[in-house]
Amino acid sequence: LATTTELLQGTLDLLILKAISLRPEHGYGILLRIQQVSRDTLQIQQGSLYPALYRLEHQGFIASEWGESENKRKAKFYRLTAAGRRRLQDETAYWKRLTAAIGLVLAAAPEDV
Amino acid sequence: MTALARLKSLVHALFHQRRLEQEMEQEWRTHLDARVDALVASGLSRAEAQQRARIEFGDPLRWKEQGREARGLRWLYDLRADARHAVRQMRRTPGFTVVVVTTLALGIGANTALFTVVNAVVIKPLAAPDAHRLVRSVTVNNGVALPISSAATLKVWLDHRSTFEDVSAHRFDSVNLTGDRDPELIPVARVSEPFFRLFRAPVIMGRTFTAEEDRPNGPPVAVLSHGLWMRRFGGTPSAVGRTLSLGSIPHVIVGVIGSDFDSEQFEPRPEVWVPLQADPERVDGASIYQVTARLRPGVTHAAADAQLRVALDATAPVTTPADRRSAWTARPLHDAMVGRMQSSFNLLFGAVALLLLIACANVASLLLVRADVRRREMAIRAAIGAGRGRIVRQTLVENLLLSLAGGLVGLIVGPLAIRTLLRLYPGTNPFIIGGTGPAIPRIGEGGAAVALDWHVLGFALLLSMATGLLCGLIPAWHVSRADVSATLQHTNVPASGTRRATGRSVLVMSEIALAVLLVVAAGLLIRTSLAMRSIDPGFDRENVLTMRMAVTGTRFETRDGISELARNGIAQVQTIPGVLRASTTCCMPLETVWQLPFVIASRAGEGVTRRGGMSFHGFGGWTFVSPGYFEVFRVPMLRGRDFSEHDDARAPGVAIINEAMARVYWPAGDPLDDRLIIGRGMRPAYEQDPVRQIVGIVGNVRDTGLTQNARPAMYVPMAQVPDAVTAPNVKLLPLVWITRTAVAPYAVSEQMSKALESASGGLPVGRVRAMRDVVSESTARARFDTSLMALFGGCALVLAAVGVYGLLAYWVQQRSREIAIRLALGAEAASIARMVVWQGIRLAMVGVALGVLGAFGTTRLVASFLFGVGPRDPIVFGAIPLLMAVVSLMAVWMPARRATKVDPLDALKCE
Repeated sequence: LATTTELLQGTLDLLILKAISLRPEHGYGILLRIQQVSRDTLQIQQGSLYPALYRLEHQGFIASEWGESENKRKAKFYRLTAAGRRRLQDETAYWKRLTAAIGLVLAAAPEDV
Repeated sequence: MTALARLKSLVHALFHQRRLEQEMEQEWRTHLDARVDALVASGLSRAEAQQRARIEFGDPLRWKEQGREARGLRWLYDLRADARHAVRQMRRTPGFTVVVVTTLALGIGANTALFTVVNAVVIKPLAAPDAHRLVRSVTVNNGVALPISSAATLKVWLDHRSTFEDVSAHRFDSVNLTGDRDPELIPVARVSEPFFRLFRAPVIMGRTFTAEEDRPNGPPVAVLSHGLWMRRFGGTPSAVGRTLSLGSIPHVIVGVIGSDFDSEQFEPRPEVWVPLQADPERVDGASIYQVTARLRPGVTHAAADAQLRVALDATAPVTTPADRRSAWTARPLHDAMVGRMQSSFNLLFGAVALLLLIACANVASLLLVRADVRRREMAIRAAIGAGRGRIVRQTLVENLLLSLAGGLVGLIVGPLAIRTLLRLYPGTNPFIIGGTGPAIPRIGEGGAAVALDWHVLGFALLLSMATGLLCGLIPAWHVSRADVSATLQHTNVPASGTRRATGRSVLVMSEIALAVLLVVAAGLLIRTSLAMRSIDPGFDRENVLTMRMAVTGTRFETRDGISELARNGIAQVQTIPGVLRASTTCCMPLETVWQLPFVIASRAGEGVTRRGGMSFHGFGGWTFVSPGYFEVFRVPMLRGRDFSEHDDARAPGVAIINEAMARVYWPAGDPLDDRLIIGRGMRPAYEQDPVRQIVGIVGNVRDTGLTQNARPAMYVPMAQVPDAVTAPNVKLLPLVWITRTAVAPYAVSEQMSKALESASGGLPVGRVRAMRDVVSESTARARFDTSLMALFGGCALVLAAVGVYGLLAYWVQQRSREIAIRLALGAEAASIARMVVWQGIRLAMVGVALGVLGAFGTTRLVASFLFGVGPRDPIVFGAIPLLMAVVSLMAVWMPARRATKVDPLDALKCE
């Protein structure tokens, strides 16, 4: 299975931004959502999520506040800031262009090369 | 936006570090708990689930590290680790730490101490609002700028309405405050009407003077200071409208000024303000006013100055000779007040900068030793992956910590020391007209205004950091260049490579050279001080008591009145046991001395200078005295006779001149056969002065300053001075009583005050001073400069000695193996000691030679501070190198002895 799928540099940031773009989420929730949406294709070493979260927060793309999780635990919820929302749009557009380009390259027939 | 967010997050991280760490852990705990729950739900046992969750999470330490880095905090943690390491190092080698911190404390403390003074005097803005638009009239005479002006100058300023919004004149005075309580002599300011408006004085009660009240012969009115209002009237509003007896004249109180009014600017702080009521047409040509003006908006200092110069030159005929010989300028008030401190501060700052450099060299050299000792440690760090930058940074952090510690000690000790020194410093002498003299402006009473503030703290902090970097760069650079493998392979390399040894030698040598430079300058000043102490002022300063008595507004303002007062007072004082002789005078030597033109009667028509309506042969000091004056001061009567009681108004006019005057103006002929016409043209009042027969010649007195050569001087009997001259004179300067005692002078002060009070019908005396103290106060500034320079010089010597000692002690330690082998092979201890001593002396000699050369080239910079000694004084230039050599020898001695005590077995076993 794809547990060993390496994440491209910077992809984790994009995934996190996307994961919390719908509603604020805590760390574990973010992980679950990424796995769920990617149908378990993308596995992230769980702890490595946090440095990425702190970096994004430090850069001002996300903000956090303490709240209560579904099962009554004290948890820190992350949400997008305005800057984060812009970032998500830029990154998404870039990612789509990149994958489209890669797709074109891979789909090329021998005579096209 | 994101940059701001980043900064905010960083600041947050800095200040809430602990909380952030806790939150991080809390967050992860929640995460793990949630994961465990999920795993348990999927069928694992709790123990299994916990283990699995932890594995999935990964190493928390790693995430923590990355998390800190993500927040931009890595450097902070590193810094903290470095600091912790540095503190450990400092504690492990307390001796080293103490030496370094003390050295730096000396350097930084001296600089900070001086800075506190400069801060109070120069940097702190004047308290007056918009002070940058205030200018003061300054008279430059023989290169000396005094912030005083004559009435003629005041008139010119007053005519420049387009340049100045307001022009005010004021002068200080002492007046007797009498009334229902004991009379006291209080400081008073006589000010013109615009004064309060110009300085924006806060009037808390009543009003200030009107222009009408400021006219000559205007009504006696007074404005109280807050202090006197509280003291005499208990702060009651009804004080306004009541009267205050000043100099026996009832003055109507019209207002009260707030306590926050600008004390630093007006020393001594006046207790009462009275109208100046100056009459420009009638006042003496002497420069007695402080003239201040407020520039109109848009007028620059330079423009105002240029206009005034032109105007003053154009009016030259009406100005007095005293003005003609000089230049006037309009200086910004701040400059006019503190400008004369400039040269002292330059000298002292030069000295402390040198001292700091010496301290830096010393510390750098010590740090190099330590860098050598710790080469292995650093090499190991480098071997296990510490980058060069990291090692350099760690070294710098250590040095910064050391210098901050030094700075802190310096910040505490330095300003304390300078305050102690300033406490002994004389305050402003109100009887030196123009407020010149030795006083340091703006330092407050006993240096009270010299205090720590943010400027000083900032200065100390910056200086400490700069010093830490400066001292630390060379060692840090050396450390970073350590050859790892070589260091680790050879466990006991004769550690310092020649290059490093040379580096240290150069440091110590420059240290010695700088110390020589500084000590030579200090030596020259000390020689100056000694020369000043041995100056014969022309009078005997021992066992003379002086006091002042204001007679303004009394019946003693006339010739006959004051003579009678003098006669009675002298008679009463002379009955006091322990008093040998008493007398009076208008002016005390070393304080204010008048200068008047004179004509020599025998050649009245020839060789006279004509200027501004005057014709004269020359100008000379002019002092009126009572009989006994020369006896009290023990001024030798060289020829002729002293004044006696018979030289009064009915007798023919007489005068006594000094030797200098006799020599200059009677190269041929006998002054005792000649007569003097004094003061004609200066003021109408002098027309009534009799033509005076010269009856005596006395020795020269240095009355204008100990370091000033005696100028021609004339003395006249008080009983022969016209009323119109006496009155303004005693208005400007209270009468001086002088007494020669057989006992300690202050022992008779109580009885003398009482006797004079009774002789004068109740007038108080003030400013009681032994003449010895008057003389010593007159040289206070020079002594201040000298004692600081001597202090700095002493510190420099000690530091240089420590530097030499440290270098040689280390040299011996490094060479103990070599020495041991030599000893084992039969070398004599004495020859080993000689080797070490030679090593040190060679170094010292080069340093001293460089220092002497440097001093030879630069001591002319201090020439203006010297008296009785040349800037290349052979004694100083001979003695200081010798002193330095002796100090170096002492510093070398201990290591040399230690070298002879090296035990060959121990030293070789160390391998």
